[in-house]
Amino acid sequence: MKTRRILSKIVGLIQTAIGGLTMFFAFFLFYNLFNIQVVLGFSAEGIGLYLWAFIIFGLLSVISGLILFYEQ
Amino acid sequence: MDEPHLKRELGLIRATMLGIGGTLSAGNFVIIGYAASLAGYAIVPVVFTCGIISLLTMFSYAELGTAIPLAGGEYTFSKVAYGGFISFLTGWFEWLSNMFYAALSSIGFAYVLSYIFPQISIPLVAVVVVIIFAFINLRGMKETGTAEVIITAIVLAVLGIFVIGGWSYIQGTPPPSSSSSPVGLIGILAATAYLFELYLGAEAVAAAQAEIKNPGRNIPLAIIISAVVLIALYTSVVFIAVGIVPPDLLSQQASPIAFVAEQAMGPAGGILVTIGLAIAGLAATNEAIMAQSHVLYAMSRDGYMPKALCKVHKRFSTPYVAIIVCAIFTVIFAATGFVNFVVYAVNMGFIIGFSIVNFSVIKLRKIAPHLKRPFKAPLYPLTPIAGIAASALLVLFIEPSVLILGLELGIVALLVYYIRMVGHHRIRIAFGGISLGLGGFFAFVAYLLGTNSIVLHGVSQEVATLVFYVLLFVSIIQVLAGILNLIASDR
Repeated sequence: MKTRRILSKIVGLIQTAIGGLTMFFAFFLFYNLFNIQVVLGFSAEGIGLYLWAFIIFGLLSVISGLILFYEQ
Repeated sequence: MDEPHLKRELGLIRATMLGIGGTLSAGNFVIIGYAASLAGYAIVPVVFTCGIISLLTMFSYAELGTAIPLAGGEYTFSKVAYGGFISFLTGWFEWLSNMFYAALSSIGFAYVLSYIFPQISIPLVAVVVVIIFAFINLRGMKETGTAEVIITAIVLAVLGIFVIGGWSYIQGTPPPSSSSSPVGLIGILAATAYLFELYLGAEAVAAAQAEIKNPGRNIPLAIIISAVVLIALYTSVVFIAVGIVPPDLLSQQASPIAFVAEQAMGPAGGILVTIGLAIAGLAATNEAIMAQSHVLYAMSRDGYMPKALCKVHKRFSTPYVAIIVCAIFTVIFAATGFVNFVVYAVNMGFIIGFSIVNFSVIKLRKIAPHLKRPFKAPLYPLTPIAGIAASALLVLFIEPSVLILGLELGIVALLVYYIRMVGHHRIRIAFGGISLGLGGFFAFVAYLLGTNSIVLHGVSQEVATLVFYVLLFVSIIQVLAGILNLIASDR
């Protein structure tokens, strides 16, 4: 039981970090900070879709990760 | 911050200054430039109209403030009128609006400062300001009330000098045409939606209503006097601005009012206005950081947010976790340096908040007709309905990307609320399934990439390999998270 709880904490933390980084990435991508759209070859037309997908994925990951991390 | 018993110490003048001071942010005097490009000379009636729309809702604030004179403002009103998810949603958007407002104030400060130091980095200065004030709030500020009154008086004096100096300058020149607008009615409405933010902050009186003496008299008077003073002040500032500098030239300035002051009163005028607005920017940033952390603290105390957010620092007696969380989010938005996005985000949050306050007035008149109301909104139900209708109209002119953000934040609010309020187990199962699905999807994409079934154009082989391993790692974590959530015991 204790091992599962530790594993939940670790996985939850990583999943939250992945989600958070994805949302940061979406933010950077949308505002083309550091010319990221060109560097990674994203087409300007599809940015809205990418943004939507990244934010939804990020949010789901953060929430799922936090649930795991804070499990009783 | 162990739930101190709040003393009623604020008289009419201090309460009014609180309403005026909460509104005078440096950002407000920066966004006038862009609004001038939308509405042209019609910016003068636009600013006046925004004030009238705001005044409609201020009547509702005054009625609720006297009927329910407890701390918390709109969050408290909606809790009494609706409770449940609506009050959570109100607190949620109140927090976010203050967060965006703090970002806007810090960016506005940076823009104003750039008038004297053009080489500064706007995002960097904005971020540094937020971090400094987060630290100040962490340590706690005992004399903020008096400082706020002094700062408001200084800013009012500077703007008074600007109006008088500008008025003397434009004497003898023909008044600007108030009917011309470069993009017609749509431009005027867009400018109204954009400038709605100008009058936000006057509701600070409602937030502090538990500390106001003789609330039945002073709360409505303070709210209405501050709204009327602000309408007169902003309208005259904008009238002077477009009377001296044409709107198209005004829209090109980083700090439009300082530029106008320099034209009318020379370099000293520009510097004086810059200093005044910079002080206003710092004060508004501080106030917004403090306000958002208090909202988060209150929501956490009421069980709507994680308990960690209502932890109080042993030495400084401040809600330090809430302040740190607020500062992190504010820094993210301040780092963009994008004024327009943040302005629309502030407007969106407050439009939702204002609508809920107007709905609360109507609801409470129905469900609690005998509630003691020392002040009643005049021309009821026309005033709250007009406030709601105006808010609904303004939403149509908010930037689409901000509306999408608002929708997403609303969805997050719904999720957070149900995670807090509904049984955890069902939600864990749902998220377990979602995580497994995401894990499977990423594993599939990694497989396609690994077998060269899909190719990343314009990306080197090393980067493609890195992407493959990242996708593999993400899919493993998602699958593990899914399994752990699914096998969690039902407690």
